[in-house]
Amino acid sequence: MTSASQSALSGLASLVGGARAATDPATCASLAIDGVTPSCVLYPSSAEQVAAVLQYAAEHDLAVIPCRNATKLGVGNLPRRYDVALSLKEMNRVRHYEAADLTVTAETGMTLGDFQDSIARDRLWLPLDPPGAARASLGGILATNASGPLRLLYGAPRDMVLGMKIATTEGKVIKTGGRVVKNVAGYDLAKLLVGSYGTLGVIVEASFKLFPLPSERATFALSTGALSIARDLRRRILHSPLQPMRVVLLNPLAATLVLAGTPLAREVAEPEIWAEVAGSARVIERCARELDELGRAAGAPPRRLESGEGPPCWLRISDLRGWIPDTFPGAVILKVALPDAASEEFLSRASQEAENDRVRLASFAQLGVGILHLCLLRTESAAKLIALIRRLRVAAQDLGGALMLECCHWDIKSRVDVWGPTGDDFALMGKVKAAWDPKRILAPGRFVGRL
Amino acid sequence: MKPPVLVRDLAHVVGPDAVLWRSEDLLLYEYDGLSSARQPHAVVFPSTTEQVVSIVKLAARENLPVVARGAGTGLSGGSVVTEGGIVVATSRMKKIVEIDLENQRARVQPGVVNLDLSLAVSDHGYYFVPDPSSQKACTIGGNVAENAAGPHTLAYGVTTNHVLGLEVVLPGGEVIHTGAPFWDRPGYDLRGLLVGSEGTLGIVTEVTVRLCRKPEAVVTLLSIYERVVDATRTVAAITARGITPSALEMMDGFTLRAVEEATHAGYPMDSAAVLLIEVEGLREAVEEQADQIAQVCRENQAREVHRAQTTEERELLWRGRKNAFGALGRISPSYYLQDGVIPRTRLPEMLEYIAQVARKYDLLIGNIFHAGDGNLHPIIMFDPRDAGQAQRVRQAAKEILSQCVAMGGAITGEHGVGLEKRDLMPLTFSDDDLEMMRRLKSVFDPQGHFNPGKLLPPGRERGELRVEVSAGGMV
Repeated sequence: MTSASQSALSGLASLVGGARAATDPATCASLAIDGVTPSCVLYPSSAEQVAAVLQYAAEHDLAVIPCRNATKLGVGNLPRRYDVALSLKEMNRVRHYEAADLTVTAETGMTLGDFQDSIARDRLWLPLDPPGAARASLGGILATNASGPLRLLYGAPRDMVLGMKIATTEGKVIKTGGRVVKNVAGYDLAKLLVGSYGTLGVIVEASFKLFPLPSERATFALSTGALSIARDLRRRILHSPLQPMRVVLLNPLAATLVLAGTPLAREVAEPEIWAEVAGSARVIERCARELDELGRAAGAPPRRLESGEGPPCWLRISDLRGWIPDTFPGAVILKVALPDAASEEFLSRASQEAENDRVRLASFAQLGVGILHLCLLRTESAAKLIALIRRLRVAAQDLGGALMLECCHWDIKSRVDVWGPTGDDFALMGKVKAAWDPKRILAPGRFVGRL
Repeated sequence: MKPPVLVRDLAHVVGPDAVLWRSEDLLLYEYDGLSSARQPHAVVFPSTTEQVVSIVKLAARENLPVVARGAGTGLSGGSVVTEGGIVVATSRMKKIVEIDLENQRARVQPGVVNLDLSLAVSDHGYYFVPDPSSQKACTIGGNVAENAAGPHTLAYGVTTNHVLGLEVVLPGGEVIHTGAPFWDRPGYDLRGLLVGSEGTLGIVTEVTVRLCRKPEAVVTLLSIYERVVDATRTVAAITARGITPSALEMMDGFTLRAVEEATHAGYPMDSAAVLLIEVEGLREAVEEQADQIAQVCRENQAREVHRAQTTEERELLWRGRKNAFGALGRISPSYYLQDGVIPRTRLPEMLEYIAQVARKYDLLIGNIFHAGDGNLHPIIMFDPRDAGQAQRVRQAAKEILSQCVAMGGAITGEHGVGLEKRDLMPLTFSDDDLEMMRRLKSVFDPQGHFNPGKLLPPGRERGELRVEVSAGGMV
């Protein structure tokens, strides 16, 4: 699929040291995207090596896509070209950690799991539950601004990053921000890089602010019956003084599937709201009391999950992409972002549309955040599925939101844009892209508007 | 005197009562909260986005700089002009366009005063988090331009964490909408780049902000110390224990005496330092945290930990804190306020360093700052009539900022770079870092019309702080 010349590839390999380059078919195939296989995989061990690779690739017109554990590598339009997979696997060190300051600086090839392990002894954490969970890398999390339901209380990666180092296609390593919790010196380039899906530069190091690990947690489940009751409960919970860490609304199929992977396996018949709260025993007792009152008033008394039952369920909820595509080959996962108050209205339209098409739909809504995941499990003919996706996109737009394809077969991507329509700021985005990557070697064609 | 052609054209856009051009009318616009600079050619007061577009196009036609200005309370020279041009003052763009409580957001014009937004939603139990000391006057547009903060951004984040979407007029007159009234709109986060860009990339004409729910309970503690070092050690200890107060402010003895004399807020006149600490949230959580914090204070030799008993007492303490700069104006002809940031663990040694600098340059330096963020506000007192002091003030200020950088910190936490610190940018950024910023500037503003001379240093050498100490322009 690629036309990278042998000499260009060996030039690249020499930049990282021959042992840190792989060209064997199996390794390359493991990082294929939508059927496009890179010609080589490089494992640089320093920021300078990453920069050198990018500069060389720009000079030789080789397309590069940064990666680590490939938990989000599939997100994006079909790659126009893909010569080099740039894996940050070797860049996994903590560079600066000051527990008493609640800040840490690490190389971005570090996985979230290793990162959390390294700070847990100080009872600290980075409160993120992104797709890919422990296997997701810091770099991938930042490049995709990957969040989960915890965003309700703690915000997104965008809100936690204090500064970063970025390797550019000119072969430079530049810095933005720093490692203190407040800093307004210069343009905030970190914001630009977060969520840029590897299309501007490669984030090689990042500083984060950390949070104290909650002492105790508890999860409550409320069966809501109709969606109108779910809406009522959402309003009551989110507008109460309680500050839950995360709240989700699962349709019956989603709840059943989540539980199926745990000892709580059962068939769920009604939509369920799940809420997790954290704090001391007294705080949790207060939350339990208040949720009980709220739930009873709405006709949905909550059950408290046993400790140990909640965490595996939350893991399945936040890491959908980790098991849905394996359990249901060909499944399509859509991400819908909306004004929060439109969540139930959208869910109602979506389930109607899916039912009309006899497509099984599992829906996971992050309440208070306004992000929903729709998993279309039984795929009818591709044409029918594409028509359904288009109708759902229109429904999301009607309600003031947007829909993107997070996971689907490349055949669908060839006919539906992954990101959806662009806005009046797109021309400027194109110029920003040109300022960082004038040769268009970073993930060409994959981002918004085929940037 | 007959108005020049430019003024007539501007008046044609906004009406004759919305343009100032006579020298005596422009005097006020030579100043902001920091310093004075040049007179603009004209000050214009548009009411709509369309008018801003027309003004920007007129300026481009005349090849004149355009500087956006909110309330002029900025502290880094961001809203003054350096080489003439047109000031776009947003004081007539003060409409709260939409309040949407269920989605916890509001859409406002840039001239809306920060506190007015919080007041507008207060009865419903909501507020806008960023609360600069100038919040009775400063505008949301200015907050966005400077990425403003305040005492209560410690726990909930600064302006950039509370802006969802922006409508922006670009230097070519195009209008764009970036961000969205929901999270995660696909595309580059130009909103994040624009927040804190100090008016150098675009003029914000509408802002969609996030509103937060007011807490159920608030406890305010005043911890009183005989030694400054005990107060700074308390801050480091609170941070290290993983307790996140909603505000954690420090005032040294010199400053709190000035504040107390001016406001009678209840601060102890005989102490070396106080911490003003607030925790908020669920009643049960707040009680626990307040107890933990009081214990940490005592472990670090607090003479007394006083808990505000009434809302009035609490508000009085905060009024004292937020009016501190006015209070200092009563005891010194002028002062220079700084904004460096350091890691919180380094506070004890940094305060000692500032004291040394004060001795070295024979200056009086007070300290009142956002201790929980490590965001220092050393205040250097001076007399503008004493010409000999000017250079010492600048030198002392530069040494303090250099020390912040040496400790792994930053030259500005919330006031912005502006004119004042642009020549210090090479202290923390390399040529390559600055080159990327310049390139982005030219993506947005290839002609360099918007707020020229701000934020980015013209050269590569480390320069001086640009404040006119001797002119007495600083407040």
